[in-house]
Amino acid sequence: MSSTFQGFLLRRLAVSIPLVLAVLFVTFMLVRIGGQDPVALLAGPTASAAEHAAIRAELGLDRPLLVQFGIYLGGVIQGDLGTSWLSSGAVLDEIRGRLFITLELLLWGVAIGALVGVPLGLRAAARRGSFFDQAVRAVSLAGFSVPTYWLGLIAILLFFYFLDLAPAPMGRISAMAERPDAITGSYLIDGLLGGQWQSAGSALAHLILPVCTIAVIACAPIMKQARAIGAEVIESEFIRYARASGLGERRIRRMVLRNSMVPVLTFVGTEIIGLLGTSSLIELIFSWGGIGQWGLQSILNGDFAAVQGYVLFAALLSVVVFLIIDLAVWVLEPRGRGAP
Amino acid sequence: MIAALRSLIRDVPSVTIGMTIVMIHAVLAVFAPWIAPLDPIAAHADKVLAAPDAQFWLGTDGNGMDILSRLIYGARYAFGIALPAVAISLLIGLPVGLWAGFRGGWIDELLLRTMDLLRVFPSIILALAIVAATGQSLLNVIFVIGFLDAPVFARVVRAEVLALRGSTMVESARAIGNSTPRLLFVHLLPNALSGTLAQISVRMAWAVRVSATLAFVGVGIQQPTPEWGAMIRQGAEYMVTGEWWVALFPGLALVSLVFGLNLAGDGVQDWLGRRRTRR
Repeated sequence: MSSTFQGFLLRRLAVSIPLVLAVLFVTFMLVRIGGQDPVALLAGPTASAAEHAAIRAELGLDRPLLVQFGIYLGGVIQGDLGTSWLSSGAVLDEIRGRLFITLELLLWGVAIGALVGVPLGLRAAARRGSFFDQAVRAVSLAGFSVPTYWLGLIAILLFFYFLDLAPAPMGRISAMAERPDAITGSYLIDGLLGGQWQSAGSALAHLILPVCTIAVIACAPIMKQARAIGAEVIESEFIRYARASGLGERRIRRMVLRNSMVPVLTFVGTEIIGLLGTSSLIELIFSWGGIGQWGLQSILNGDFAAVQGYVLFAALLSVVVFLIIDLAVWVLEPRGRGAP
Repeated sequence: MIAALRSLIRDVPSVTIGMTIVMIHAVLAVFAPWIAPLDPIAAHADKVLAAPDAQFWLGTDGNGMDILSRLIYGARYAFGIALPAVAISLLIGLPVGLWAGFRGGWIDELLLRTMDLLRVFPSIILALAIVAATGQSLLNVIFVIGFLDAPVFARVVRAEVLALRGSTMVESARAIGNSTPRLLFVHLLPNALSGTLAQISVRMAWAVRVSATLAFVGVGIQQPTPEWGAMIRQGAEYMVTGEWWVALFPGLALVSLVFGLNLAGDGVQDWLGRRRTRR
């Protein structure tokens, strides 16, 4: 079994690597060809043409684009993602320092969205055409139509400005609270691990609004998809057979759940990736300071190496997420093991 | 055709509701200069951030511009971006999907890989990066949204064509001597079209949302253009100080249009699905 499992992993990686390369290549070319010229930005308005050329040569920008891409790729393989031209920091360090900040927000949001959305969707599938079903459909359509950033702003208005229940949307912890000793990078988990209850409490209070906003947005498509998947399973022949054989409603519900799990799980994975862009906007609104906010600002500032790092992060995250999901499917679904 | 339309309107109330919402927005967009009470980019310096009152029904923004008038003009930008963007997607997606489904080969392979790429990568990040890199103009926003969405249409057409390829209809059309282009465009395309057209409404909703998001981040369209996303961007900072009307109303306009488009699109797809299972 272990040998087929390794083979499976290798096949998955073989499919993923060209995808990551393609994403990198496309953004690299687009950013270089069309982007603002960083040389003018770095040199300042008083620099002479010779100084411009010197900076250009120093950055390697005078070489052909394909060579530049090759050099960049060589660096990436060795863990060198280049240097941000704005902060002068190594892009890898910038990303590493923000990794947990972003994942904390994103994963909590998607997890809560899935925990709410999947049961609701499956329940709607079991009662198709009922009032409950119609309500689920309407709510998920509404969730599709609301822009995340606007929902976040409304949440701030309501819970911070009017009700005064949430802390100011400025960062991940109150300015007054003590920063917990860094272990994982998540203030909440670090505070709990180190027994700094006040810090953990403040971090939790700051997490609630942005996480709930993401959860609401994540919930809509998950609900819709779970409903569609559930409906398909319920109409399938083996469930009809089970019903005809007189199995109890509870046994049937368990069969439906088991058989819906694999496609639902795959879809939740796709959602995590789709929400990466969305959660970047939420980071922006709540001054969260994670990779998303940093990436958006790099895009606006034309900071090539940083944009490239952001894109690489997104691509790698999607590869990892899909890998984890494939593994879960591999465990849950013995039927598909023969196929690549 | 007429009978089908009548059945669509009768059997699926969500289509009627959705289309009504969209039509209201369309009327506002077309007749904006006659409907809007004030000039959308006229700054009333003495009335900056005025709360909604008798003169400014929905208040004024940080420049002292009338929000209601800006909302009405904003509908023009929503349609003005979404319609050409979806047209571009269709113009690229239909032929590519037809050929990929009919012939397979490298076009099919490329299409599938592009779909993979878009599936594993957040398209909004791609759109942001590309618009920021290629120059921030309205035209670029339209093209980028159109290009990014073309594979979606291509995939739908491809799937339809794939299902029809081996049918008796295609075989007989071929047997009586139709040329390949004639077979593709006269016989296959009309049959593959219904599923594609059902997508248009939903894809327009997507285009409206993405264009507003780009403007919200500050890429593409900038203040003082009366575009909803840009208006929300300006209003964001006032949310913590209590001038809620600046960001609230453009958001509502955006949500209602996108919801109307989604509702109509969802209804049409549902209806098509039911008709197919009946057949």
